[in-house]
Amino acid sequence: MLYRTDLHIHSCLSPCASLEMAPAAIVQRAKQVGLNAIALTDHNCTFNLPAFSVICKREGMACLYGMEVTTVEEAHVLCLFEDLETAMKMGQQVYASLPDVQNQPDRFGDQPIIDEHEEILGFAEKFLISASAYDVSSLVKEIHSLGGLIMPAHIDRAVFCIIAQLGFLPDEPFDAVELTALGRPELAQHYSVVRNSDSHDLSAIGSSFTELELESFTMKEIQKALTQAS
Amino acid sequence: MKISDIQDLEVFTCVQGEYSNIELTGGYTSDLLSDVMGNADEGSVLITIQAHKNTIAVCSLAGVAAIIICNDRAVPDEMLDAAANENIAIFQTAENQFKTSALIAQHIGHCPAR
Repeated sequence: MLYRTDLHIHSCLSPCASLEMAPAAIVQRAKQVGLNAIALTDHNCTFNLPAFSVICKREGMACLYGMEVTTVEEAHVLCLFEDLETAMKMGQQVYASLPDVQNQPDRFGDQPIIDEHEEILGFAEKFLISASAYDVSSLVKEIHSLGGLIMPAHIDRAVFCIIAQLGFLPDEPFDAVELTALGRPELAQHYSVVRNSDSHDLSAIGSSFTELELESFTMKEIQKALTQAS
Repeated sequence: MKISDIQDLEVFTCVQGEYSNIELTGGYTSDLLSDVMGNADEGSVLITIQAHKNTIAVCSLAGVAAIIICNDRAVPDEMLDAAANENIAIFQTAENQFKTSALIAQHIGHCPAR
């Protein structure tokens, strides 16, 4: 089956994302634009994944559970899991490693944690745009030990991009690298490429996607498809 | 100032001592490694908080001879091993990059802070 995937979408939990980005609205919009598999990837935090999980199951949307980790190098890296529990566990570790800097909603935006009915359960207190304590190498090892996928985000951008931060793409066993819609494929070197929307508002969903031919939407199948594409 | 002179200063601890003890040509202070790669001089000491093995890759390309890790950031074993392979010295300090730079600058010949 052909899966049209967008594996980089922010919910309202990310302070830089629109408050309209509730899981139900995200899934509805994803369906409208013809996506059939998506991932939720907030900055350094997984607190909205439980609601996302309920909505995806209810709506029959294939999904991965993720987050966009900011490494010590201040590079953004996508981490994706098949299983909600594992994603939540890793999310707690990443959140705990953030510096003890509180969000200032007036300045940076709110970080609401919501349930599947869009009721606000609370707010993530730490500022989610800070850098975690994981460097790229240790993050790769940790994510792979938990059976997840890891891919540097938007490697063609000028900011929060691993190449812009280090000056080169380090030789690590990444599962893929992410390019923006217009990013030059040669930047990816020998790695397989995924393109995602990095949506922070509903209108961006579907603006960039990756098609994967899979027997079913499982981690094993996705890994196989990415390995074949590299 | 030779690399070994760094550890004679009280606030620095040598955590990777396999290096050739050259005379330092200067210092560079930055946490953006792509900047270090383009601008640090060969034979200089890098003052940074970027404690991971990719810092060694960048220093090796730029010819940086020693690194001072500030703010007591932990230095992972992978970084120590990579530095030993490249003969790059690593020192650790509780001081921040500003104070470390000011201190080192007093000991390097052609520095305006001297």
